[in-house]
Amino acid sequence: MKTPELVASSWPHIHSGNSVQNMMLTLIIALLPAVVAAFLVFGLDTLKVVIIAMASAIFWDAVLQKLFKKSLTVYDLSAAAYGLVFAMLLPVTIPWWIIVLGTLVMMLLGKHVYGGLGCNPFNGVLIAYVALLLSYPGHMGNWPMPTSDMMMTQYPPLVELKENGPFLLEDAFPVKDLFLGTNLITGSIGEISKLALLLGGLFLIVRKKISWIIPASFLFGLTGFATIFWLIDPNTYASPIFHLLAGGSLLAAFFLATDWPTSPVTKYGMVFFGLMCGVMTMVIRSWSQWAEGAYFAVFIVSMITPYFDKIRPKVFGARFTSKRPVRL
Amino acid sequence: MRAGRLRGGLVLSYPTNGLASPFEDVASPSTAVVPLQQDQGGACAPKVKKNDDVLVGQMIGESQNLHGASIHAPISGKVTEIIKTFQSISGQTVPAVVIESDGQAQWIDNPAESDPLVALQLAGIVDYDRQTIPLADKLEQARTRNVNSLIVNALDIEPILSSRGRLLQEQPAKIATGIDAIKKILNVTQVFITVDENAFQSVSSIQSALGGSTHILPLCNKYPQAVDYMLVKYVTHVEIPCADGVCIPDVGAVVVDVESLAAVGRKKPVVERFLTVTNSKGHVKNIRVTIGTPIRTVLDHCGITPDKGGKILAGGPMSGMAVASPDLPVTKDLVGIHVQSQREVVAPADATCIKCGLCVEVCPMRLMPFMISGFSEKGMYAEAQHYDISACIECGCCEYLCPVKIPMVQFIKFGKKQISDQRSGA
Ligand code: SF4
Ligand code: SF4
Repeated sequence: MKTPELVASSWPHIHSGNSVQNMMLTLIIALLPAVVAAFLVFGLDTLKVVIIAMASAIFWDAVLQKLFKKSLTVYDLSAAAYGLVFAMLLPVTIPWWIIVLGTLVMMLLGKHVYGGLGCNPFNGVLIAYVALLLSYPGHMGNWPMPTSDMMMTQYPPLVELKENGPFLLEDAFPVKDLFLGTNLITGSIGEISKLALLLGGLFLIVRKKISWIIPASFLFGLTGFATIFWLIDPNTYASPIFHLLAGGSLLAAFFLATDWPTSPVTKYGMVFFGLMCGVMTMVIRSWSQWAEGAYFAVFIVSMITPYFDKIRPKVFGARFTSKRPVRL
Repeated sequence: MRAGRLRGGLVLSYPTNGLASPFEDVASPSTAVVPLQQDQGGACAPKVKKNDDVLVGQMIGESQNLHGASIHAPISGKVTEIIKTFQSISGQTVPAVVIESDGQAQWIDNPAESDPLVALQLAGIVDYDRQTIPLADKLEQARTRNVNSLIVNALDIEPILSSRGRLLQEQPAKIATGIDAIKKILNVTQVFITVDENAFQSVSSIQSALGGSTHILPLCNKYPQAVDYMLVKYVTHVEIPCADGVCIPDVGAVVVDVESLAAVGRKKPVVERFLTVTNSKGHVKNIRVTIGTPIRTVLDHCGITPDKGGKILAGGPMSGMAVASPDLPVTKDLVGIHVQSQREVVAPADATCIKCGLCVEVCPMRLMPFMISGFSEKGMYAEAQHYDISACIECGCCEYLCPVKIPMVQFIKFGKKQISDQRSGA
C-alpha cells in the first residue's frame, strides 16, 4: 500500500447535498400546479407570460453578472425561480415589454446592486411588482376575462370587494370556486387556484425548504384580524374565509413571505413576521386605495426583518441558574 | 418504552448497521509507536529508556496527577527508540516510545492500588466526550460536587459508528462491573443507561446484574445526541451552559461512556481500543486493536484502501478529524476510522449565505450559526461572543445542511481560537 495523498480540512466531511439549485428547483416545482391552474383558465397566454418572465429574468441575471464582473451563476436557477414567482403576480394580459422591464428591475434592485443573492434586503419580485404597479397601474389592473362565454364578473374578488362592498360576494364568489379557481374567478396568474398554491406550499414545507411557521402565522394573523372586524361589522367587512381565499393571501404566505434572504430565521422572529404580514395585509385591504394588500404587506414588513432576527431563542443552557444538584 | 428524541440535530441513517458485526481482533503489530500523550490531560513523563525490555501493561508514561491518564506498553518487547517530537492524530507534538515486539505478549503484574481514583489514573482509563478526557479527572470533578446519578453513555457518537452498541452486547458483565465500581467510588445510587433504541435488548442483562434503580433510556437515532450536554439534558431535563465556571456535574450527574466502563471492569491497564472502521461505500467492521498499531494495518485488516485525494478520518464523517497520514498509530483518542474516497470529499465553497435559516433550525445549541461564523470570518470577535460562539459544540449539523456549503465549523473554530488567544493575551 502506497501512502496516498490525503486531503485535510475541518469536519463535517459529508454534506446533505442541499444546494441553492436544489432549493430553487423545488420552488419552481412547487409553483407548477398554480401555473397549470391558470393555464386551464386563461389558456396559452399564461405560458407566454411565464416563459417571458423566466427567460428575461435569466437573461438580465446573466447580463448583470457580466456587468458587475461576477462569476456566472445563472445555473443555480435562482433567476428562473424568481422570474416564475414574478409571473405569478401579473395578469396574463400584460404586454411583454412590461414583463421584461419588470425582470430588469427585479434583478437589478433585488439582487445585483447589493452584491448578489442573500445580500439583498428586499425581495426583488416585490420591488418589481411595486414599481410596475406605480408606473403602469392600467396594465397591471387589466384583468383578463376568463376564456368562457358566460361572464359573471370581470373583477378579481378583492377588487370587487373594494368597488362594491361585501354584499354580493358570497353569491359571486362561492367558497368552492375561490378555492379551486373555477367558474370565472379572475386575477393574476398566481391567484387562481388556492388548492394548487396549498399543494405547492405544503410541498415546500415537506421538502424542508421553508419553515411552516411563516405561512401559518401569516394566515393566522390575516384570518384573526379579518374575523375581529367581520364580527364587529359584517356589512362593511368581508368574511375571514373570503379574505383567506381571495387574491394573493396564500401566494404571499407560502411563496413571498418565505423568501429566504428577506425573511427572518429565528423561530419567534418568524412568528411575529408572519403575524405582522397578515395583519398588514388586512390593514391595506381594508383602509387603503389598493384592493390587494398581501404583496405590499410582505414588502413593507420585510424592511424590518433584521429586527425580527434580533428575537433570538435562548441559547442552550441560558436558563441554568442554580448550582443545586437536581434530585432525580 | 418510547424512545427519546433530541431537539435539533440531524437524523443520519446509513444502509449498513454495524451493531450486528462482532469485534474482530487485528493482529498486534511487530512494532508499536506509542505517543506519550493521548488525552486532554498533560503529557506523560517517559518511564522507560532506549533498549529497556517491557511487558504488556507496563507503564511507559506516567501521568503526574489525576488530571492525566498513564500510558502502558501495548506489546511486550524492547524499546528501540524514544522519539522526541512525534505528531499524533490530534496534531499535537508529543514524545513517543517505539517498541519492537518479542512475540510473547506477556503481561506484567502491576501492584494493586488502594485509592480507586488513582487506580483509574494508573490504569490509563480515558472517557470520550468530543475530546478524550482522563476518567479519573472526570470522576474527581464529579466527586467534589457530590453527584447522585451516573449516566452511562452507550450511544455511539455518530450514527455510522457502532462500537459502543456492540460492546454492550459482547461485554455486558465487564460493563456491569465497571458501573458497580464507579457507583462505589462516587457513592451514587442511581444509574441511567442511555442506549440506541436498536441496541435496547442488550441492556437488560446489565440491568439485572445491577439490580434496582438502574433505568434504561432508549433514544432514537439523532445526531449529536451522544454529547454529554445532550444526555444530561435528556436525563435531568436541565440544560447546562457551555460557560466558564459551570460544569456538567453541577446538576448532580456525571456521564461515562461504556468503553471506559468496560475498561474499568477489566481491571487492567488500557492497551487496546474498540473501534468501528467504516468507509463511504457502506463498509462497516467492528474491531479490537492494540494501541500503537498503525492505522494502515487496521485498514489492511478491514480490506479498505484509501485512495488518492480521499480522506482518513479519526471518528466519523460528521465530527472526525482528518488524519495526516495512515502511518499514525491508533491511540486512546481514536473512536473510529472512516475512509472517504475522493468522490465523496466535499469541496469547500466560497459563496454568500442566502439566509435560508436551515442552520438556525438545526442547531442543537439554538445558536445562529451563520452569524457566528460570519462574524468570525470578518474578525468581529466581540459580536461573535455576543451571539454565544462559545456555546457551539462544533457538531457540524449547520454546515451539513447549508445550501451554499459555507465552512461554518472551520470559521467557528477559528473564531473561538482567536477569542481564547485574546483572553489569555490580555
Ligand atoms: S453552530 Fe455549532 S452547535 Fe450549532 S449546529 Fe453549528 S456546529 Fe453545531
Ligand atoms: S444554512 Fe447556509 S445559507 Fe442558509 S442561513 Fe445558514 S449559512 Fe446561510
